[in-house]
Order: sequence, then C-alpha cells, then structure tokens
Amino acid sequence: MKISKEKFGQAFDALVAEYQIIAPVSDANGIAFKGVKSFSEVKQDYLNSKLPPKAFFFPQHEKLMSYKKEGKDVTVKSELKVENTVLFGIRPCDAKGMQLLDMVFKNDQYTDPYYFERRDKSVIIGVACNKIAPTCFCSSFGLSPAGSEGSDIFLIDLGDSYDVEVITEKGKAVAARFEALSELSADEQALVDKIKDAETSSKVDVSTTTSKLDKMFNNPYWDTLQEKCIGCNVCSFSCPTCHCFDISEEVRKNEGTRVRTWDACMAPLFTLHGSGHNPRDNKKTRWRQRMMHKFNYFVHNNGSMSCVGCGRCIKGCPVNMDIRQVIDGANKAELVVE
Amino acid sequence: MNKIINDIRETARQLLAEGKVDVVIGYEKGSLPLKATPCFVHSSEGVDSLIWDETCENNLATYVAKTPGKKAIVAKGCDSRALAVLLQENQIVRDDLYIIGVSCHGVIDQRKIGAEVGEILEASISDGKISVKGMEGDKEYLFTEVKDATCQTCRYPNPVMEDLHIGDTIEVSQEAAAFADVEALESKSDSERQEYFKEQMSKCIRCYACRNACPLCYCQECFVDCNSPRWLTGGVNRAENLLFQAGRVMHLAGRCVDCGACSRACPQGVDIRALNRKMTKDVYVMYNHESGISEEGKPALNEYSANDPEQFLVKE
Amino acid sequence: MGEIQVETENKKYEPKIAAFLCNWCSYAGADLAGVGRIQYPATIRTIRVPCSGRINPLYVLKAMANGADGVLVSGCHPGDCHYISGNYVARRKFALIKSLLNHVGLEEDRISFSWVSAAEGGRFAEVVKGVTERVSALGPNNGIFKVVDGGAADE
Repeated sequence: MKISKEKFGQAFDALVAEYQIIAPVSDANGIAFKGVKSFSEVKQDYLNSKLPPKAFFFPQHEKLMSYKKEGKDVTVKSELKVENTVLFGIRPCDAKGMQLLDMVFKNDQYTDPYYFERRDKSVIIGVACNKIAPTCFCSSFGLSPAGSEGSDIFLIDLGDSYDVEVITEKGKAVAARFEALSELSADEQALVDKIKDAETSSKVDVSTTTSKLDKMFNNPYWDTLQEKCIGCNVCSFSCPTCHCFDISEEVRKNEGTRVRTWDACMAPLFTLHGSGHNPRDNKKTRWRQRMMHKFNYFVHNNGSMSCVGCGRCIKGCPVNMDIRQVIDGANKAELVVE
Repeated sequence: MNKIINDIRETARQLLAEGKVDVVIGYEKGSLPLKATPCFVHSSEGVDSLIWDETCENNLATYVAKTPGKKAIVAKGCDSRALAVLLQENQIVRDDLYIIGVSCHGVIDQRKIGAEVGEILEASISDGKISVKGMEGDKEYLFTEVKDATCQTCRYPNPVMEDLHIGDTIEVSQEAAAFADVEALESKSDSERQEYFKEQMSKCIRCYACRNACPLCYCQECFVDCNSPRWLTGGVNRAENLLFQAGRVMHLAGRCVDCGACSRACPQGVDIRALNRKMTKDVYVMYNHESGISEEGKPALNEYSANDPEQFLVKE
Repeated sequence: MGEIQVETENKKYEPKIAAFLCNWCSYAGADLAGVGRIQYPATIRTIRVPCSGRINPLYVLKAMANGADGVLVSGCHPGDCHYISGNYVARRKFALIKSLLNHVGLEEDRISFSWVSAAEGGRFAEVVKGVTERVSALGPNNGIFKVVDGGAADE
C-alpha cells in the first residue's frame, strides 16, 4: 500500500499532539536526528545521520537518580521522565542496531528500566535507503538497505509517496492515522522491488570470522593491527551498537546524582581498576576486545554479530582505520598454535 | 611514479635493510578516496606501500614516543616542529630517530569537498587539480581552493630539522606571522564570541580524537581522566566541553605547532583551532615566540623575561 | 566586617569570589589587612597556595565551573618571589588565561590578577574592593563555564 507524501505529512503533523517526534534534519554539522514539530522540517533526501539514533534510548549522559541528605533524612528521586516518541526516518542499519541493543539491556535476569522505558514508549518508522554510500556494508551481515527488521512501520520513498508496510502492533496504532492509502501501480511496484533487491556494493565476508576469532586470542595479528590507532572514542561513539557505559556519582555537599555516561573499550580508563591494575593497558588488547566483542563474544552470547555495517566508524576515524579491512585481515591472518 | 615517493621508498628500504631503524613510519593509501593512512613498515619488503601526496594529513609525530625501537619518520614541516617540541621536552631521543624530511604544499580539506559533492566516490589528483566524483555530483577543484585552513597560514612548510631531505624545498615569505582568522573573531563583541563558542562546544561529543591526534598531548594521565581531583564530571554538555577544550588549549599554550591535526581529527567539525590559534597569536605577539622551530630553545611558558607585559593586572 | 551590597535585578546580591593567594606575599598581605582592621568586603573565599607559580589554569576554570562569580589571583611582586622565579613563570600563564577566557566570551572582569606584597595590607583591601565592585556589576555567574548538577547553567 502507498500513501501520498501530502497525506503522510498531515498524519505526521497530527502526531505532534501526542508524540515527541524525532526526525532527520539538516544542520551546520550535516544530518542529525532532532525533535521536530512539522513534516516540513524533515530532511527527506539524506544518507544517514552523523551520529546514530541510539542516544534516544541510551543517552550519552543520563541522570539515573538524585539524592539529598537533610539531617538523618535521605530522599532519593528517580530522574526518569519519558514521553511517547516517534522516531521517523531511521535507516535499516540503525533499526537493526536497536534490536541488538535490546539484547544487551534485557536478559533473563535483568531489564534495564531506563533503556526500556524509552524503548517501549517509542515507535520506529524506518525508511529504506534509496542511495547507498560507498562506506555502507550492511549486506555483509545479511541485512539490506531496504530491510524492515527493527522498524514498527517501514516506508520506501517513491518520490511523491511512500510505500507503507506496517510491521508491529505499535506500528498499527500510528498507521491507523494514515488516510487515503492506495494500491501501488505496476511501475511503483517495480521501483519497490528494485529498492528491495539493492545491495551495498561494499561487502566483507564474515562467514568464517567468528570461528576464526575463537582461535585468535593470542594471535600476532593484533600486534600490528593497533599501530596506527590513536585510541580515541570516535568509532565507539558513532557506532549504533556500541553500548558500554560508566556509572558515576556527582556529589556536591549533601546532595548528588548518579549518572550513566557512554564509555568505550578504546579508552584506557575503561578497564582501570581501583588498585591501579589495568587488564587492558595497551591498544593491542583494547583492539582485540573491540573485534572480539563485536564478532565473537556477542555472537556466542546473543547469536548475532554486533555490527550492522553502517560505516560511520569508517567515515569518522581520524586515521582511517577501516573495520572492513580489519575483519578481512582477521579472516586472512595465519593461525598460530595457542 | 613521482620522484619523491620513489626516494621515500628507497630511503626506507635502505634504512630497514641496513638495520639502521626497526620501523619506518610513513603514509600509505587509505581505504577512502582522498585519504591517506599512517603506515608502519617493519621490513624492506613493505616499503612499496609508502606514498606521499596532498592527502597525508595526519601528524606522524604523535606516534614517535609510543613506538618502541629506532624509527624513521616521514615528516612535513609541522610534523618536524612537533618533533622539535618533543625533543625540547625530553619526550623522545634524537639518536633513536631518523627524520626523512619532505616539504609540504599543504593538505586537502576533504570536508569542504564532501560538503559540496556529497560522499566522495572517486578522486584523482594531478598537476594541482583535484577531480572528484561524488554522490551529489562531480567537480574539479584547484588545490588552492580546497587547501586545509591550517596550511593556508603555514610558515614552515619545510622541515625545521631532518636527517635527509627529499624533493625540493618551498620558498617561504619572510613576512611576520598573520592571524587574520583570530583577528576576525577578536573584532566581534564578547557576546558574539560567546555565542560562537557555545555553538562550537555544543557539537563536541568528547571522543577525545583531538587530544589523541595531537602530537603534543602526551600526558600519562590527561586531566579529563583524572579521578582525584576530579576536574570534570561525567557530563557531556557545552560548559564542561569548554572546560575540557580550554584546559587542553592552556596546556598547549606556547607549545602548539599549529598543525591542525586536532581540527581534522574532530568528527563533529568543532573549530578547535580557533582556541589554539588565539594562544599562538598571543604567545607570538607578547613573547615573540614560535614553538618548535628549532631543536634548541624552550617552550614559551618554560621561560620568562623581567619585562613581560602586565596589562592583565587589576588597576588597583 | 563592612559589606558591600549591590543592587542587581532588584535583588540584593553579594558575589562569591575565589581568591588564590600566595603564601609568602598576598596571603600575608591579607593577614596584615586583618591585623590592621582594614575594612574590605567579605566576598572572597581565600585559598592559600605556596606560590602563584603553583596555580594551575584549571583552578581558575574549575572555580568558574563550580559557580564562583569571580576569581582573584594574587602573588608576590615580580622580583620578590620566595622561590626566585615562580611569579615570573606564572605571569605568562596568567596573561594567557585572561586572554583566552575573554576570547571565549567570559566577561573580562570576572578574572582578576594582581601582585600584593606582605606589607601591602591596605592595598590588598583596595584590590578586593575593586574586584568586588566590578564582579558585582556583572551579576551572578551564569556564564559559559558554569556547571549545575551535571549540566550547563542556562540550558
């Protein structure tokens, strides 16, 4: 089914009354996901945002609670305030990334309330990629530039209209407002099929990577791999699936807050113990951790690789460390007897 | 093939074959168009990957202290100035270092190109022209149009110290340093400048790429990582981002060699150089000091004169 | 103690000023002002440091971040440093801090530097009076550095 952009825009603008709407906009710094009040503010022709939209569920810096001590009384206040939210224009890689984050923040023992309060109250409207950047490599992971995984409603931009696919119950509630839906014409159907069949031109073979990494913990590959890395956090902060964090207390006099802040395996401080010992005190072990976590441990724990091929780390890296080459290098590395 | 590249490779081959160095730090072709990437060559078989062109934008001096053994480094003017400061501060050992000097005409600001043609698909450089094929269109540029902002004001394109020079040297005008960019900001009102820096700082995501790309940020423990005293909270907001950037710039005052590595490394396009350049100008104007222009000498803040200006004092 | 109260935005307001004073001169100068019962506004919170050369630029930044309305830094007169050259080294640093902070848009009078000797009790009082007046005129620090509860002040 399709909906004209005019009708879609009307439904979108009507949603503003009930939902906080996050959508791609163009700012001085490129494309960013920001709050919008009308469909006219939304940038429709874009590759993807500079930073991943994960921050809407898992903010870079978040107050978990605040507390105050007065005499012998201690008051503790939760800082969680969540609005119903629609995230519009999420690309398939990022939507899949959020599904991967779900696996991290919920397991059989614990569900993270901060992440899931936001997650449960939000509806993801995914939009297929009509254009594919040279750094995109999602097809390597069995994903697709028009994959609907992770979206509640999935749209394909047909120029004047969107092809609409409603995927979940949450999506249905929002899609109920879409009016004047009609069937696709034969030409449009052909366009939809073409977009759905598209693959990224850049691909890396990951079929053997996990099993190869099982045998590579002490491999000399890591020695040379890390040389040019400068150890910044660009790759982690721009990754839609990186989720490591640090919890700290900001205390002033008799009150304070507990905050959660993004951290990254590339930072030496991340693993520094109170004793002064640091189990990952060099770039070699930190890079090994990054690769192992994404392509080995995560697969063993959750059955999926923790990379969606969005290419942000490739574009952002100041020294052009290209994760595609790193994977390729691991695939080809000679095994040593461990 | 370009003679400079050939000479770099031959030099590297000899140094490695004769065992004079354990590693040659240079550039190789990167995985993206118009992007070179640092490369570490450990044996003479690997030297053919070394390149030299207008895309060699990283400051390789960053790696010298962290790379063990004897090393050779391909150094532009700014890389060599950073090495000079590192030597002044006893961070590296001159005898362990072989400097392959190359004069540099400047590097390409690929962000500027990307902003116009979209994602760069293909690019080629020849005779001072850059042809780019982008997702939003194709365009041809003159090198001077897309030269990085840092390189436009560069006064030391030739290495200030080297063991071997490759290629020609570049003639440099003897005029005093110009700071038109700093003056443009200075001429604005306090509140305009405040607005400008608020906007810049709100872009910062504190990934520390600027710090880590900087050849002169080598503190064992950076003040931002320090737990006791705790200079910064975990907060990522523009006030604390400014505290980080201002603190960093103060640490670099009188040491910064204006290579622009911080600004180029920034994934968010924060104008970090606006702060560094201000300090560079002040140090130049007040103390007539330029950092890292020779092996001898000291950074500006390690010296003093009885006649240093005191306009900053209160009137009482 | 005499207190200067200044009207800003219909509110009686007394600034809080962090004063970094060197042990050998300015701190002794403040002491002398006290012993001599010379009146000056109770706006400063004194932090004694061994030498003005010991002052890390981060002290000034952090004081602003933590909500000080102004910062006063004072050491021995050039040539009189107990450690021979501490204040000469500090002088370059101070000039640059002042210039940088002004460049990023911090009001010029928020950060003050001065040399006060151990014999200048009267002058110390004058400096504090002058600094207090100027900082009061600017009003509370809601500037670019102030961090409140993990967030920037005016957001």
